[in-house]
This record gives sequence, C-alpha cells and structure tokens, in this order.
Amino acid sequence: MASKVLIAEDEANIAELLRFLLERVGHTTRWVADGKSVLDVAREWQPDVLVLDLMLPSLSGFEVLKAVRSDPAIAGLPVLMLTAKGQEKDRRLAEDLGANAFVTKPFSNTDVLSRVAALATG
Amino acid sequence: MVAAAPIGFRIKQRRRDLGLTQAGMAQNLGISASYLNLIEANKRTIGGRLLQQIAQQLDLDFDSLTGETERRLMAGLSEAASEPSMRQAGVDPASVPDFVGRHPAWAAALLATLRLGRAQEQTVAALSDRLAQDPVLSDALHRVISHVTAIRSTAEIIEGGDALPTEMRERFDAIIGEESGKLAEAAQGIVRYFDASEPGSTSGIPSEEVDDNFIANANHFPALELAGDEMRKTLDSIAGGLDAALADYLQNAHGIAVRATSTKRADGMQYRNQARFDPASRTLEILDNASPSTRRFQMAHLAAHLFAADAIAEAVAAGRYSSDAARDWAKRALASYTASACLFPYEAFLQDAEHLRYDIEMLRQRYAASFEQVAHRLVTLRRAGASGVPFGFLRADPAGSLSKRFPLPGLPIPRSGTGCPLWAIYNAFQTPDRLVRQVAQFPNRARFLFIAHTVTRRPTRFSEPPFLRSVMLICDTIFADRTVYADGLDLSARGVETPVGPTCRLCPRKDCQHRAEAAIVPL
Repeated sequence: MASKVLIAEDEANIAELLRFLLERVGHTTRWVADGKSVLDVAREWQPDVLVLDLMLPSLSGFEVLKAVRSDPAIAGLPVLMLTAKGQEKDRRLAEDLGANAFVTKPFSNTDVLSRVAALATG
Repeated sequence: MVAAAPIGFRIKQRRRDLGLTQAGMAQNLGISASYLNLIEANKRTIGGRLLQQIAQQLDLDFDSLTGETERRLMAGLSEAASEPSMRQAGVDPASVPDFVGRHPAWAAALLATLRLGRAQEQTVAALSDRLAQDPVLSDALHRVISHVTAIRSTAEIIEGGDALPTEMRERFDAIIGEESGKLAEAAQGIVRYFDASEPGSTSGIPSEEVDDNFIANANHFPALELAGDEMRKTLDSIAGGLDAALADYLQNAHGIAVRATSTKRADGMQYRNQARFDPASRTLEILDNASPSTRRFQMAHLAAHLFAADAIAEAVAAGRYSSDAARDWAKRALASYTASACLFPYEAFLQDAEHLRYDIEMLRQRYAASFEQVAHRLVTLRRAGASGVPFGFLRADPAGSLSKRFPLPGLPIPRSGTGCPLWAIYNAFQTPDRLVRQVAQFPNRARFLFIAHTVTRRPTRFSEPPFLRSVMLICDTIFADRTVYADGLDLSARGVETPVGPTCRLCPRKDCQHRAEAAIVPL
C-alpha cells in the first residue's frame, strides 16, 4: 500500500537512500533534517508513518517522539525509530515514550521496508 | 580503631639485643619483673615517664620506641584486612599487630602493594567510566555507525540486481566512495583518541557486582514479582493485618518467633538493619527502637527468603557473580526485592504512583513505608507494557561515597567513589528531613531531575552522631512533568538547571570552582 512517509534524519546520504528505497516501492516521502521541523511538517502533511532517527540536531529523537505523542493532531502517528547498535538503553527509553517499532543501525533495507509497510497498514 | 602499637615486642627484642635480663631491667626501672613481663607481652599499655625511662635504658629515641611508623602501618593494614577480599582469603585483622611487630619490612611492602593495587583499580574504574560516558567517543561511534549504515544500504541496492539508470548507479557509487572515506577517517580518529590504551572493568566487590547485575536486569525481576504477589496472597489470607500476618506466617509456616529486643541489652553491631535472625533458636530479633516500617520490612525480608527460596536461588544462578560473598550479597538483595514486591504490589503501587504523580511523601503515607523503601520500589517499576517513570537511584553517606547506584540511560555517574559535589544528594545533608530537588545538566547536555532526601539508618542516642544517609531519585527531564517534582519549574527556561558533572576525576568542566580533584584526562 502506498503511504506517506516522513523521514527525520540528519545524515543526508542516509536520508537519500531511505527516500530511494521507499519511493521505489510506491511510497511518497518527505525529508527533514532537524527535530523542530518534524513537528511542523507532520502537522501540516499528516504522514502515515514517521521514520525518526535518534540523533537529530535542535530536538533529539526522544524529544520529538514525546512532542508527537502529546500533540492531539499527530499523537496517533506510527513511529519507526532508528537507533544505534548496542544502545539497548535508548531502545528502552524510546519504548517508554511510545515508539511503535525499531530498526537498528546499520539496518538492512528489507527490514526498513517491511516495518514501514507493517506500520502503514496498522 | 587501630590496636595499640606493639611496643612490648620492641622492648623485649631490644632488651635481648643488649643482653639485659627482664629482672635486671625491671630493677633499674623500679618496677616489678612481672609488670615488665606484661608490658613486653603487650598486655599493658604504657606512656609518659615510664616510657621515657625505658627509652633511656634501651638507648632508643622516643619515636622509635612509640612506633609511629608501625602505627601507620597497622592502621593501613587493619583497613585493608577488613575488606571483603582479604576476609575471604582468611586474613584475621587481629593478627595485624603481631605481623607488623615481627616483620615490619614485609608489612610495609605489603601495604605499599595493596595501595598500589587500589589506586590502579580506581584508575581502571575511571577509564571504564570514560569508555561508557565519554561524549567524544560517543559522537565518534555514532558517526561510524552512520557511515556503515549508508554503505550497507547502498551496497544492498546495488547488489539487488535491479537495473538502475546509469545516473542513479553513478550516484550510489559516489555515496559508497564518500561514506567509505568518512568511515576510515572516523575509525582513525578513534584509534588516535585511545592511543592504544585498553582498560578492563571487573569489580570483584560484592556490592558492586550486585548493583551491576540489577542494572543488567533493568532493575526488574519478573519471577520475583510473581513470587512477591504469591506471598502477598498468602499473607492476605491470614487475618489481622499485614504485620500480624507476617509474624503469623513466620511462626506457623516456619516455626520462627518474632521478638522485640531491647536496645539496652543488644549489641547494635550484630543487628544488620536493626534485625537479626538466629537460626539455632528460630528467632527473628528486631530492635525495639526500629520504626514500624523497618520492623515490617525485616519480617517481610525473612519471609521472602523462605517463601521464594527457589526463585531467589534461580535469580542468583542466572547472575554473574565472581565469589560466594557476592552470591550471598545478591541473595539478600533479591530477598529485599521480593519483600518489596510483596509489600508494594506492582499493579496497585504503579496505579497509586501515577495517580499521586510520584509524590513520595503521599506514597509513604499510603503504604506506611519509609522514603527509601518507596524510592527503591519506584525504581523497579519496569515491567514491559506497564512501566512507570524510569527512575535511577543513588545512596550516599556523609563522606560522599555512593553506596548504592542504579543508573539510567545516558546518566553519567561514576562506577565507584564519590559523585559531583554539586548534586542534590549532597545538598540534602545540609537540610536533613527536607526534600531537595534540582535540575542538573551534565557536560554532555543531558538534563535530569534530582530528588534527594536524607534518611536515618537507625535511631541514635543524644551522645551519638546521627546515622544519616542521603537517597536520591533521578529521572530524565523528559519525564519530569509526570511527577509533582516538576510543578512550578519552567524546564524550558534558561538557567533553571545547575551545571554538574559525573565526578571531578571524569568532569571536563574547566571553570568549576567546586572541583575537588584533578580530571584523569588533562583538560
């Protein structure tokens, strides 16, 4: 199912690759590189899935996630968190804050695609 | 307290070296031979004029005779002998004076070696902290992972075998080239940073090993929660309230009598946490000045040992402990956990905590519990799918040492020794019995809410110094608004936070006027 996927990632090459992968299977994507823009774009564009990197400038991925969950306009947005390998503690914190799924960097492309698809179809 | 220096040995040895008889020397000193015999056997302490006379008789200077060097040696070795590893090796602290008197050079060499070992242990712990918390390293590793991610993802696309337009193919080749270069650069940076140093990090100290195992389990043991719930059901089936039920359970299920012992007759040293179980007489003695919450917890602790013996043994077996002493310590800690799970049932306590917005004073009243008991329980509310606010926990003594620590993700606290002098846990000692809150910002910009309060380990008489400790709960400021402790705080305002560090030896703040120790890495 084609969905709208918002990508929040500060590494331009990774963002470009994610967009390529997702668009190739029919999704529409938009990309933001800092935490503050995520909220603005999410409210305005109403994506089906947010792919959210943990390490973002201005607002961290945790802060963005908390803000998403406390904003009634986007509180139900499914969030796929990108966390770093070996950082189990980050994953626990993200779970506490309401992340729906996780992909560990370095990720496999098929893993990202299947998780986005699962979140998009609810 | 260090035993008296073995002056007697030195007097006896010197007298013999000079060829004097005990009777002859006693006569010269104007004392009886039997009294000199007692002095030489270290059974009489002497001083003042008699000591000066003996020094004169033996042609020794006063300081050599009083044995100041030996006294220092004994102080150091006595301290070392009381450490768990030495106790485990069968070292008897009472033999220190004899050892120092007979082999002073060996004693000095042993003490120097032990001190060197301790210093190196601290360095290893500090370097281990640095590995875990260093912001430079953390940033470097993040960059490595990002570059590897880009390379892996690109490689998968290229390998996928799909026909890619030339322009796209060239773009992906460029990404691999660019990211590979950055990866090599980041890896070289890490190598340069470490400069080939490779510290290890094993503790061997029972209390630290127990803390480490609790941390590895995220402070939550589902099997013990289950055991605590079952124990509570058993107690609830007994009439007469929780305290009576605990006493009844111990008596009827295990033949253990609970008895109050007068503090006038008891040797307080034998009562860990104001209670002692005597297996021979099947009696749990609780000091009569113990608070009701302590009394209840001590009964629950013993009951948990017996009720949940298998679950506790399994949890110990599943942990990583290097000695029997550590396993014993773990058994006690896990029994406390089970007791806590019984006295503060998970679901009800979590519901109350959320409803009362983690107001510890209100929870204390609701559960007739102490501050420390409530704080401890809050830390364990980590059940998957039904967790509370993630709290860390620290306990400190007035000398600054951290005697218990359950860290949080991203919270840079040292593995051993003291914390930052600016932490609320230390401020709390200045206002005993009053809660201190603080928004603390660490050098890596992580912000945490600190909630500290002193606790009295046991009541003391007027003539004794108070037995205070300070307990601190810690939560990421991101969760602070779920607690009453953020009320009235504008967490987004500038200047609301206190700039703190992990501990002076790990702290990179150059301009801190509270620095008590140089940083281990030059600033």
